[in-house]
Amino acid sequence: MSFEEQVDELERTVMSEKPFFSRPGGKIFIIWLILSVIGVLIGFYAPHHLLPAMMSSTGTDVFKTVVVFTVLAAPVAAFVYAVGIYSLIAWRHKGDQDEPPEDGPPMHGNGPMTVVWLVVSSLLVVVLLVWGLSVYMAQQVSHPNTLQIDVTGRQWLWTFKYPGTGVESRTLVLPLDRAVEFNVTSVDVTHGFWPVALGNQVDANPGEVTVIQTTPDKLGKFSVRCSQLCGLYHAFMYSSGSVVTPTQFSQWLQAQGVPPALADRTARIAR
Amino acid sequence: MYVTTDVAPRLLEDTPLGPEAGGLYRRQNIWTGLGFGVFLGFVAWLISHALLQGSNWGSDMVVTVTMVAWVIGFNIGMGSFNAPIRWALGHDQTHQDELYAAGVGQGRSRYLKFCTDHKVVGTQYLVLVLVLFGVGGTLAMLIRTQLITAHSSFLSPETYNSLVTIHGMCMIIATIIMVSGPFTNFIMPIMIGAKDMAFPRLNAMSFWVVVSAVPCLLATFFLGGVDAGWTTYAPLTVQAPPAMDAFAVTIITFVVSVTVAGVNTIVTIITMRAKGMTMGRLPIFTWGSMIGGGLGLYAMPAFLLVMTLMITDRATGTSFFVAAQGGSGWLYENVFWVMGHPEVYVILLPPVAAMLEVASTFARKPVFGYKVVVASFAAVAGLSIMVWAHHMFTTGWAPDLGGPFMLTTELISIPTGVIFLSIIGTLWKGRIWTRLPMYFVYLFLWNFIIGGVTGIYLSDVPADQYFHGDMFVTAHFHYTLLGGAMIAATAALCYWFPKVSAKMLNERIGKIAFWMIAIGIQITYFGCSGRGSKECPVVWRTTTRSSSMPTRWPPVAPTCSCSDGSCSCTPCSIRGATGSRPRPTRGAPRPWSGRYRPRCHWRTSLWIRW
Repeated sequence: MSFEEQVDELERTVMSEKPFFSRPGGKIFIIWLILSVIGVLIGFYAPHHLLPAMMSSTGTDVFKTVVVFTVLAAPVAAFVYAVGIYSLIAWRHKGDQDEPPEDGPPMHGNGPMTVVWLVVSSLLVVVLLVWGLSVYMAQQVSHPNTLQIDVTGRQWLWTFKYPGTGVESRTLVLPLDRAVEFNVTSVDVTHGFWPVALGNQVDANPGEVTVIQTTPDKLGKFSVRCSQLCGLYHAFMYSSGSVVTPTQFSQWLQAQGVPPALADRTARIAR
Repeated sequence: MYVTTDVAPRLLEDTPLGPEAGGLYRRQNIWTGLGFGVFLGFVAWLISHALLQGSNWGSDMVVTVTMVAWVIGFNIGMGSFNAPIRWALGHDQTHQDELYAAGVGQGRSRYLKFCTDHKVVGTQYLVLVLVLFGVGGTLAMLIRTQLITAHSSFLSPETYNSLVTIHGMCMIIATIIMVSGPFTNFIMPIMIGAKDMAFPRLNAMSFWVVVSAVPCLLATFFLGGVDAGWTTYAPLTVQAPPAMDAFAVTIITFVVSVTVAGVNTIVTIITMRAKGMTMGRLPIFTWGSMIGGGLGLYAMPAFLLVMTLMITDRATGTSFFVAAQGGSGWLYENVFWVMGHPEVYVILLPPVAAMLEVASTFARKPVFGYKVVVASFAAVAGLSIMVWAHHMFTTGWAPDLGGPFMLTTELISIPTGVIFLSIIGTLWKGRIWTRLPMYFVYLFLWNFIIGGVTGIYLSDVPADQYFHGDMFVTAHFHYTLLGGAMIAATAALCYWFPKVSAKMLNERIGKIAFWMIAIGIQITYFGCSGRGSKECPVVWRTTTRSSSMPTRWPPVAPTCSCSDGSCSCTPCSIRGATGSRPRPTRGAPRPWSGRYRPRCHWRTSLWIRW
């Protein structure tokens, strides 16, 4: 190659150096940005429509986790989609589809890109893990003044016992803003105790007692379902639950035949 | 030591076979298999019924013995055990016998026989997989039809529950063998320059053993139905009717087949590579097959173990899983998921590896980051054996292990991410040739991202404590296994179909099917996840009492899943293909010619005579 030719070559290269947003990288960046924004918006808005209104501390944890994870995942998913979309638009073989196109550039890999990818995904995993563990640890802390409830599953109904009061009920009534601990067991097969809007669940295993806790923080009704296939009428195994004020809770206990003094004491109401 | 059948096909057909070649093989085919299987099963039933009548667990024992006798009888009738029996009797098979067993001079009838030719076995597997998908898909459509309204009474609760179980297990069996059966057998030996699998007779046996498992699975419908869900958690299964025993025998039989096939794959790849085909040059699909097969060797025996214990619990009165007698349901759950999670990657790795071949061929570029991908396959396989308890976050077993299992589960997303990097790196600046197989690569990309993102909520213990057991989980694993693995396998099928059949698929029909599948999956499982996150447990006969989503979604979802199932794409497309002539480009059957695909297996001028 003569000197002139080399200069020409160089000139062509320099001239073809387009502005960032005209190059593939730039265009993919734009697509990525748009998709990421959409993903982040979905992360903020969709959970409101897809999840029920959560009524407890653990439920709020679930809600926050879904939002945070979606927002974190959106840019990654958007990047893969952006490259995919761009490849279909710009790098597609046009013309006769029966004729195979020319070969592409023989790229066997790209070290720096792989390293960046690994580092970014590892960092994301660390964030997920730190978030998840801190929420999980916080849920494990036991609160003073916890209301104990014994939950028993059988084919195909739930029974709730309030120890110390002798109350045994088919519906679950919880006082507001008070930590509650469910001691869950089963008399026949494995059931799944799932008070839906409380955002927590644990299996009811025969011969074992499993424990979960939560703090209801909104008044209202929720349903208690079975989340583990337990035989013929599994689909119909549900009870209703409600979160009420301590006063109402005491009244409910009294309606179940608990003496007023004991009911108030159980509901932690000073007389 | 294997007796060689490794003569080039053309040579095989020219080899004169003596009239006595083949011996017993000459009289054996699928009909003798069926006949002898039914006969032995019947005899076993008569004897066990007479002996065990009136005992406590009699019916369970009778069903188990009958099913096992059927499996053994069928395989004796097929000829699976001819060689070992002859060997035990002091003779060995002659070379002529081996040639006969490899299908020489038998035309199409060899597809209904015990045939040791890896290409025949691969084709047999392909047909079986399509049949199983047909059965499983039909069951899925029945399930969706039941869910059409919140209180439909199309199916009774027990029928519904057993449909869900058999749909699950049918699909598990089909997806485990969907690539490792057809393509590992057919394509892999040609790719590495081997003349056949390392153990051709074991190879043929592995196929006929799966075949004999299928009637056991379907028999469950006539034995009362397995209404315990596809995970068949104990102690619910202890209550189940005798169908549960048939179910367990199905699994045990299937595990035998998968284990044999896995050993065969690994040995073939390690010992039978042609000169120059070093481990570092293996096509990526070969790596996927090998690592998937190896992982199967770890995972599947646990399934065999747990099902054997289940049978002894039911038929002989042991109590491994019965809490009242000192057993534990958690024991079952642990062993089941020790199998269950690696099994996901046994399903996933071979199709994904095959799909990377497809992406590379149609982007006209080499696979991006070959070594990193192989390493990440290995990392996925290694990590996958340490994540099982994330299926048990809400069982109450060892809450303290929530953290460690959350760690391993989330770590696995790093090597999985590398697979995404490899796909988009392969597409990068490629010359994207959008033929039918490439469509499925893009669909895989779309679905598998959704499957991955939904997975990170489930890997998080606090979030999983809400989502566990509801339709959201169903949507998640259908996005990964149907939207990911099965779509990748479909890409592989469209890609290798010309190699297998010497006919091109009909692209127009294929693309219609593609769009029906693509849209069907989105509507069905987006609907699922939407409804699921609003309190809808997985195995639910009725949906929730008229909250808004259920009433709006279900009528749409079944329609789409119907479009989804009925067109499983390939049958349509294959019908289109059978009408069209072979169209080899440039002389040899190399329809997707180009430089960077693994060329070896397209170069061999090997035409299958149908």
